[in-house]
Order: sequence, then structure tokens, then C-alpha cells
Amino acid sequence: MSIEVENLCFAYKAQAEILKNISFRLEQGSFLSIAGPNGTGKTTLLNLLSGLLKPTAGAIKIDDCFLQSYSIRHLAKKIAVVRQEFVPVFEFSALQVVSMARTPYLGTFAFESKVDQQAIADAIEMTDTARFANRPLNHLSGGERQRVFIARALAQQTPILLLDEPTSFLDMKHQVGIYDLLKRMQQEYGKTIVAVTHDINLTIQYADEALLLGTDSNYHIGKAKDVFSQHQIEKIFGVKTFTGKIGQENFFLPLGKFAKSRNGCASEVKQTQSEQNRRNTII
Amino acid sequence: MTEALTPTRLIIRLILCMFLLAAAMFVCSLIGTQKISLGSVLDGPGSAPGANTDYDIYVRVRVPRIILAALVGAALAASGVVLQAILRNPLAEPYILGISSGAALGVITAVLTGASITAGTKLGAFGAGASISVFAFLFAMATCWLVWLTGHLAGGSGITSLLLAGVIVNAFFSAVIMLLTSLIDSQQLRTIIFWLMGNIGEKDFPTLLASAIFIVAGIFGLFTICQKLNVLTFGTQEAQSLGVNPRAVTFAAFAMASFITAVAVGLSGLVGFVGLIVPHSVRLVLGPDHRQLLPASAFVGAAFVVICDTIARVIIAPAQFPVGVITAVIGGPVFLLLLARYSKKIGYQR
Repeated sequence: MSIEVENLCFAYKAQAEILKNISFRLEQGSFLSIAGPNGTGKTTLLNLLSGLLKPTAGAIKIDDCFLQSYSIRHLAKKIAVVRQEFVPVFEFSALQVVSMARTPYLGTFAFESKVDQQAIADAIEMTDTARFANRPLNHLSGGERQRVFIARALAQQTPILLLDEPTSFLDMKHQVGIYDLLKRMQQEYGKTIVAVTHDINLTIQYADEALLLGTDSNYHIGKAKDVFSQHQIEKIFGVKTFTGKIGQENFFLPLGKFAKSRNGCASEVKQTQSEQNRRNTII
Repeated sequence: MTEALTPTRLIIRLILCMFLLAAAMFVCSLIGTQKISLGSVLDGPGSAPGANTDYDIYVRVRVPRIILAALVGAALAASGVVLQAILRNPLAEPYILGISSGAALGVITAVLTGASITAGTKLGAFGAGASISVFAFLFAMATCWLVWLTGHLAGGSGITSLLLAGVIVNAFFSAVIMLLTSLIDSQQLRTIIFWLMGNIGEKDFPTLLASAIFIVAGIFGLFTICQKLNVLTFGTQEAQSLGVNPRAVTFAAFAMASFITAVAVGLSGLVGFVGLIVPHSVRLVLGPDHRQLLPASAFVGAAFVVICDTIARVIIAPAQFPVGVITAVIGGPVFLLLLARYSKKIGYQR
């Protein structure tokens, strides 16, 4: 189940193009991380990949077939989406929410079969959500709710998993817990994972590939460690960073104008000082 | 782990609800201004017409009226459940959103135009006649759409913007209804005013049968999209990712909910708040799964209106008043409580 994006363009009605001529190919079982400053179209790209939005030009192919050629129901068996967690209107229990994943597989009278029940139970076990399966979603913490939505995506049993900032608002333990789970899904079940994130330091430890979207509709795609380089991060985000290494992977600490250690790492910064000063005065 | 909803569990629970409804209908059929002994009813109609008054009152007056009340209750409660799901608003209800008054305007328009075409037609036969049903349905559907669109344009997620749209639509239609009512000759005025207040009177058997078929078919149709409604309460994006076409389901749900509301309004006028009180009570006991909530609410709604109508029949006997008065007296405070509760919840989320 490969994902192929060809010259993808998108603009919201009567606005400037937010995504321009994006092309990449993702094989089954890859882990792609999408990063970039606010407003560069990360979530838009995710919505395009999930079929929610239609590209203004270009095409997306899932398994070498055009995305538009799939019915809504069929596509839901191929792609599961985890959006940012929210509180639903009615007090569905965590178990009921996870069960909804089976909707595309149900018949007219819509009752879960043995197979469906098994998929639901497995997803609950993998995400460690059994403890609060009976509790209504609005009685859970943000992290617990996020895990419930991930459990739902797993119970959907799709080869592709799209996530929009899966770790925002979570504490360190839960952030790592979610990435560990995603990595396990990739390695043990061969799922393709595409995650939009702001947390480059975390995602670089897990993702194999990365897509960095810039403000002027330029983008970089490639191996995560090549894309997330100090030069590129500083250029695209327009901040000065301290860049270090843990094992093989980089990590980035943004340093603002008044940050205490800003001058301490001046030697590490490759950007020219004059350009940096100009940017600072703009900011 | 919570037990999953299986067909067996659902059927057992629905049979229990059915018993509740049957018990309510039976007990209410024995209550009334005229004391009736069950023994003499069971004796049969007697040799000559009118020989057994108890039987006549029971079979010709009480039973049809109770069946009518049950039909109206089932339709309004089911319609409330569905509107709450597609609008993602726990306070949605056909009466509050002005859909009932839309249907009522349709009925009155049909009656007026029909009356002017075939001069001399009696206006008393509300609820009968295909043109009336069609008008009521079309008006209800259009109102549904109008309220949804207004709420959608006014900011989408807000609970109150939608309610406000409903209130305004309601006020507007009420004004038009008042205007049209004042054109109708005074002899019919009392009937119409009672009907507008939500009155359950006696209806002939063919009307009852036709309405029963329409309402049961409508509720059954809605039952087939219940799982999709479950998913749709999470929003259109979520629904689409879970394989549900949000537009198609919303349209089907609007159409069927408007249809059963229109039939109920044709039968009994504006009975309010049933679609609010009943689904909320059922949800408290059985939870929000629509596959269970919808049919259970239909049964409980039927029992609720049967009981309310019995109260309306006997409380100021020998006079009677419209059942809509009772449901509004109960429903108004419930609505305010729920509004306070859900507004608080929203404030907390921000």
C-alpha cells in the first residue's frame, strides 16, 4: 500500500496557494514525519491525503490508484486518521468510541461480529486503554483521550495511519508512549505512519523519513536525519538553535533573543550574524 | 470491560420497553371521566348498536385516542434523537427548532388553499388528505434546512446559535400562522387553536392506520442509519474518515426526521419538548449509542405522551385541555436545566 503524491497543489478558495508542486513516494511500512512552521499547510496536506480535501492540481495515488477513485467506505478501510483529541458532545464510553472504528466493515443493521470484537479488544490492549474503557470520554484526561482515538485508528485495521500532532498537550511519558506505539505498529504490523508534528526532537528519534514544509511553498523531503539539519531548521523556522547530537540523531534547542545561553553557543551557529540581526528586528 | 451492544441485548431491552408502553397504554385506557369496567368491555358490543356503552366508549373513543398519542410520542421522540445527532446539539428538538411550526404552517397552507379551490370543504379534517401531508412534509424539510444553514453560517459549533436560529424561525412561522388563522372563519377557530397548542383528539381508524404505517416506516428507516449517526456525532471529518458519507447521512436523516415530525404534527399539532425530555432520560439509563437510543426513545416517548394525554383528559374533568400544555409545563424547566448544564460544559472547554 504505497502513497504517491504527484505535483500536488492546493489553495483554499480565492487564497494564495498553500501547497505547491509537492511530489514524493512513500512505500508501505515507512514512517514519515511532517514538520514546518505554522500555516505552511501541514494539516492541509494531511486532509488531502485522507481524501477530505480535493487537490486544486496534481494527484494522490494510494496503491497506484487515484485517491478519488475510492469510495468513502473503501478508503476508510485503507486509511485511518487521528486528529487532535477533542471532547465529543455525547458521553460515549472509550469502548464505544473504539468500536466505531468498525463502521466501514458493518452490514445494514450494524452490529459488531466476532471478528470486529476481536479487532476492538486488540486495539484496546495495544494502547493500554482497558483500564478506562468503560468511562465516558469527557471524564478522561487529554492523554487518555488521545490514546483512545489512536486505539480507534488501530481497530480500523488500515495499512495507513495519519496523525495530526498526536503528542501535543501530552506529558513526556505519554509522548514517548505514543511514539513507541506508533513505531511498534510500523515494525510489527508493517503499517505506514504519517505524523504531523511540531516536536522535531521527538519525531527524529522515530521517523525514517521527513517532510519539512517551508513558508514560501518550498519543501524538503528525504531521510529524517538529512532533512532535519541545523541549517535547514534555522532557515525554515527562522530561529537560532543550539544543535547537539544524541547517538546518531540531532536535537535542536531554539534560542530566542533574550535566552540566557544564546551567546554561549554562538560558535555553533552557522547563520551569519547580520542576517540573524535583521530577522530579530523584524520579529 | 463494558458489554458490547449485541442484537440479543438490544432485543431484550426493547421488549422491556414495549412492555412498559403496553402497560402504560392499558392503565391509561381505564382512566377517564366515564368509569368503565373492564368486564363489560369484554362482554362485546352487544346485540344492538349502543347496547353496551362501556364497550363503545372504550373501543371507539379511548383506544383510538391512546394509539394516536402513542404514535405522536414515538415520532417526536425519535425525531428529537435524530436531530440531536446530526446537529451535534443536545438541545435540538423539532418544536424548539421551529420544525413543528414549519409543518403546522404547511398544514394550514394546504387547508387554506385546498378550501379555496374546493369551496365548502369542511376544515375540520386536519391530518387527513394527501395534500396536507405533502405540504407539512415539505415545509418541515425546508425549515430543517433553514435552521441547519443558519446555525452553520452563524458559527457552526455553538449550541446557542442554532437554538437562536430555531427561536427566530419559530417566531416568524408563528406570526404567519396567526395571520392565516385570522383569515379562517370563527367557527373553526377553537379547533385550530387547540390543534396549534398540541391537541390529541379522536381520529378515525383509516387515518390512524395510515399514520401508524408512515411513522413506523420512518422510525425503521432511521434505525438503519443509527451507527452512522453515532459516528456523525463526532463531526463530518471524523465521519468521513470512518467510512460514512456525512452529506448523504445528514440528508437522509433530515428527510426522515422531517417526515415523521410532519405526520405527528398533522395528527396532533404542536406538542413540544417530547423530543427533548425523552431522549435525555433514555440516554441517562441506556447511554448514547443510537442503535439502542432511537428505538428505546420511540417506545418511551409513546408511553410518555400517552400518560401526558391521560392527565390532560382527566385533570380538569369534564373539561379537557391540549396535551401540548402538559409537555411544555414539564419540558420548559427541563430545557433550562439542560441549557445551563451544557453551556457550563462549553465554557469549561474554552
